[in-house]
Amino acid sequence: MFEVPTDRKYQESHEYATTDGETATVGITDFAQDELGDVVFVELPEVGEEITQGEEFGVVESIKAVSDLYAPISGTVTAVNEDLFDRPELVNEEPYGDGWMLEVEVADDAAFDELLSADEYREQTE
Amino acid sequence: MSEGGRHERVAGSPYTPHTPAETAEMLAAVGVDSEAELFDVPPEVRFDGDLGIEPRSERELRAELSSVLAKNDDLTGFLGRDHHSHYVPSVVDDLSQRAEFLTSYTQYQPEIAQGFLQALFEYQSLVVELTGLPVANCSMYDAATALGEAARLADRVRKVSGSVVWVPEVLHENKRAVLESYVDGTDLAVETYPMAEGTVDVDALAELADGESAMIYAENPTVHGTIEERLSDVGDVADEAGALFCLGTDTVALGLLEEPASVGADVVVGEADALGLPTAYGMGLGLFATREAFLRQVPGRLVGAGEDAAGKRAYTLTLQTREQHIRKERATSNICTNQAWVALRTAMHLAWLGPDGLVDLASRCVREAESLSARLDEFPGVKAPVHDRHHFREFLVRTDQPAPAIARDLEADGFAVHVLDDHLLQICVTDVNADETDALVAAFEEAL
Repeated sequence: MFEVPTDRKYQESHEYATTDGETATVGITDFAQDELGDVVFVELPEVGEEITQGEEFGVVESIKAVSDLYAPISGTVTAVNEDLFDRPELVNEEPYGDGWMLEVEVADDAAFDELLSADEYREQTE
Repeated sequence: MSEGGRHERVAGSPYTPHTPAETAEMLAAVGVDSEAELFDVPPEVRFDGDLGIEPRSERELRAELSSVLAKNDDLTGFLGRDHHSHYVPSVVDDLSQRAEFLTSYTQYQPEIAQGFLQALFEYQSLVVELTGLPVANCSMYDAATALGEAARLADRVRKVSGSVVWVPEVLHENKRAVLESYVDGTDLAVETYPMAEGTVDVDALAELADGESAMIYAENPTVHGTIEERLSDVGDVADEAGALFCLGTDTVALGLLEEPASVGADVVVGEADALGLPTAYGMGLGLFATREAFLRQVPGRLVGAGEDAAGKRAYTLTLQTREQHIRKERATSNICTNQAWVALRTAMHLAWLGPDGLVDLASRCVREAESLSARLDEFPGVKAPVHDRHHFREFLVRTDQPAPAIARDLEADGFAVHVLDDHLLQICVTDVNADETDALVAAFEEAL
């Protein structure tokens, strides 16, 4: 059973975003990291870049696949988890914790309405 | 064997061992009656003619091939221009032709190919040592391909908007053509910067290169054999313009010339086949080395070393997730193969020479060119070398008399040289033809 915390929202393509306040934290789900296997590299945008809901913002590479990352919400990148460049395995170990990827200043809160709730996402992965 | 005593023809090769029964079973599983139906090639694109291949006995075939080969001339080549002949020691033939290395089966499956993978790892390590750059792939098709890939790499790794790839006005036409093909369909454009007395006109380049530059390409030695003396300055120009500095060279030249990393090269490309392979109809071995920061943008294949479950050193292809068989249209490059066996030969030749042997060979390429050009320069109406520079293997010769006529006379005497224009020849001398220089000089004098 994969962990699907209820304090955030999800995208069908397995990215999550938190909803508290103006800044969102973006990463990939427990299910996604398990499907990928050992993550060996993460390519992320730079601070200041704009990301757009539904569009690619980076790449996550595991020993068996390379997958594009799709932005769950639109906004401006305010922080990038640089620890991932040296320790990409954090994505496997703590996808919802130290394995986070971006902090984003959210352009429009309404965008969260288009994302899946924890229950809806869990249903999708079962 | 069938009743008639003839061998039954079984479809497939020993590596795809499907019996007719298995093939039928697979076709049934996907619901078609025949392979023709499975592949469904439209009749309008099918070849329906006679291939015109007549059966011959082995003896007839040998006789025919001998007669075709007899049409080859037997000239002593003083030809260079990116394809250089050096003596390949017989140890290279002997070792590289061992059956373990000559198998047509893929060399990349780690469970069956540790020896070949190790050889390619050694090749990469030698390239790293020669270039001073920390990452080398296990080869590309040739120098031109490697140059094209370098331009695409520059496009991927640079975040600014510049899209101009600067190349020297003195550049082999084939290299330029391949580079143009590579950038076709991208936002890159190839532009030319001038040379001064056979080497990069650094001041002119500095004027031209601005924020619009994606890559600056220079060669050492140049296709005319001149040795660049201001490569660090070229590197600085590239840095200031925010462009990648790509340096073209070859394995022998690297034995003597400045280490590319020390002059600021971001990517090194060139012909690695200067060692390991005789000149053979333009076949090459593309050198490709770069900085660690660009590791994940390197085209082609890399062999990595790790440990197996028992803690023993083991080799495998690494970063395969950047290749098109995994990533399709978003792959780093469309290159999906390399020149494994040629790289193996180059690694063997390099290892056989060792550092001292390589330096000796490279030094000879300077001495022989200097000596031969000086001898030709003594003839009235001849200037050699044309450029007042140091040279490596090759140099230009300007003649008052028509150069094509001189080349024809030389050919009649058994020598091949390049004709560049009405009064310009290019001559290349290495360890292989150095013993023929007396005869060449005599023939040259006669031709004047």
